[in-house]
Amino acid sequence: MGIPSAPLVTKAFKDLALLNAAKRGMPHERICFTPHPVWGKTPEEVRVYVEGPDPVTGKPFMREVVDALTVPLSEEDKKVGNLSVSVGPATFTDTADNLQEFYLNNGYTDFLPIIVPTEQRVDQMLKATSHHPDDVVGKMAAGAYPAWSYNVRQVAANAVMAGCRPEYFPIVLAIASSGMASLFSSTNSFAFAMVINGPIRDKLEFNYGIGALGPFAQPNATIGRAWTILSKNLGNGGIPGDTYLGSLGNNLNYNNVVIAEHEDASPWVPFHVQKGFKKEENVVSLFRGLGVVPGQVARGSSANENVQFDYQMSDLFSTFTGFFGALIIADPLVAARLKEQGYDTKEKLIDWLYKNTRQTVKDYKSRNYAYLFDYPRALRGDEPWATWYKLPDDAVIPHFPRASDFNIVVAGGQTNAYPQAGNLSYGVSVSVDKWT
Amino acid sequence: MSPVALAGVPALATSDKKADQAKKGAVPASGSLLEVLNPRGLPPPITLVPMAKRLDSLDGKTIYLVSDGFPGADTFLNQIAIWFKKNMPSVTTVYRLKAGGFADDDPKLMAEIKEKGNAVIMAIGH
Repeated sequence: MGIPSAPLVTKAFKDLALLNAAKRGMPHERICFTPHPVWGKTPEEVRVYVEGPDPVTGKPFMREVVDALTVPLSEEDKKVGNLSVSVGPATFTDTADNLQEFYLNNGYTDFLPIIVPTEQRVDQMLKATSHHPDDVVGKMAAGAYPAWSYNVRQVAANAVMAGCRPEYFPIVLAIASSGMASLFSSTNSFAFAMVINGPIRDKLEFNYGIGALGPFAQPNATIGRAWTILSKNLGNGGIPGDTYLGSLGNNLNYNNVVIAEHEDASPWVPFHVQKGFKKEENVVSLFRGLGVVPGQVARGSSANENVQFDYQMSDLFSTFTGFFGALIIADPLVAARLKEQGYDTKEKLIDWLYKNTRQTVKDYKSRNYAYLFDYPRALRGDEPWATWYKLPDDAVIPHFPRASDFNIVVAGGQTNAYPQAGNLSYGVSVSVDKWT
Repeated sequence: MSPVALAGVPALATSDKKADQAKKGAVPASGSLLEVLNPRGLPPPITLVPMAKRLDSLDGKTIYLVSDGFPGADTFLNQIAIWFKKNMPSVTTVYRLKAGGFADDDPKLMAEIKEKGNAVIMAIGH
């Protein structure tokens, strides 16, 4: 733009700010730092920040700001050109134990033991796809960063590390091809989920019965894990302070929420068919949001003869952000009961949920996420937020902006009629068959 | 900042001697050597962006105070505006809230700044 600028960042994000500036081509950007936090501080408290020192340099803060805009550029500041960035050699050689330590210490793992990716193991993995090892699979960035690219061989190395069998590899490739990292930079500590559809669920023995979301089958465990490991290594995600700022973190990131849909026990159309695929196609669908909650906490009819799962689900959503959607994971017993109640399609249930999960404008505006995420959109004129922010406090609006924010899958072992629900938004569905 | 540091190049697990031993099939007393793949992807090259020329001074200049929408940024920038009024009264400050999400561009605002402003102080939250 050609206009001198002084970016201001709080001290907590110093490493992020400096690294990001360098990665984007301004290693000497004159960033001025303030104490942390700024959010929630009174004008008087913030005045002390402005009149005090930059907590990184110790110099008077406003002196830093004025200098950032007026001190002449050095020759380094004026440099142009390209810098290549190296990730080290193509291979490493050492004993198995030393390599475990090496991978751990260099941030290549999820801090659990990995299967070291020898050439032999990677070659076995590569046999499960017809794609050439040097074929580019995709690009990934764990937030607003320059994206890294990767090929089939690199994805294979990460699949080996996660403990995947070769026959799982096309699914891992499909996930990698989406470019969606399962470790995202936000301070909000996002969670991620995947839904598996198609005959591959049975071929690979995914678990979609008892313990469907738990550690009870190798494909569920390792494919979910592979997503996180490849997000670290191929997308450069998960570096605390640099590409990961989640304040508390999210335990679900270890292997993400992996849901193989119980298509046979569902009274409804499978998820991937809703997204335009044929039933016999193998598809992985990816979601992003904040987490999953159990249905047992929901209010609704408690009489066994008249359990109203629609009301229970709607109640579950009352604490959800509207910034992310709602992914309903219904045990087949719940799905069967909902069909008896008249919801013979997922769409009918979604329509009811959208219309009946509501809040007052006053309640909406009081929510943290509304100010953080929706208010800027309202200012830009984006709907429905632009309209919502103009309504009186007692007006009633939907909890979620769109009916398409709802998604439903069926999974579980029918030992009891429980749903779970994720404050998760649908991202993308990717063909697994393309990667075989 | 070193481009090597940006990618987090690891301390190498092996010296040339160990690599040679592995290739020759030599088995040291501590255990067999394995050759394994680097699991990292390929980072994009960094294109250096020259910084904009600085102002000789801020006297009489118009400075845009821009918030990216993070809570508290407006309060903070208001204190900066008060500071300028008190300490550098010839500076004109203009407050603006950037539209969209934190990392979204706001071409309309950038065009305004380019036309009417001399410098930008931007409060960036994440």
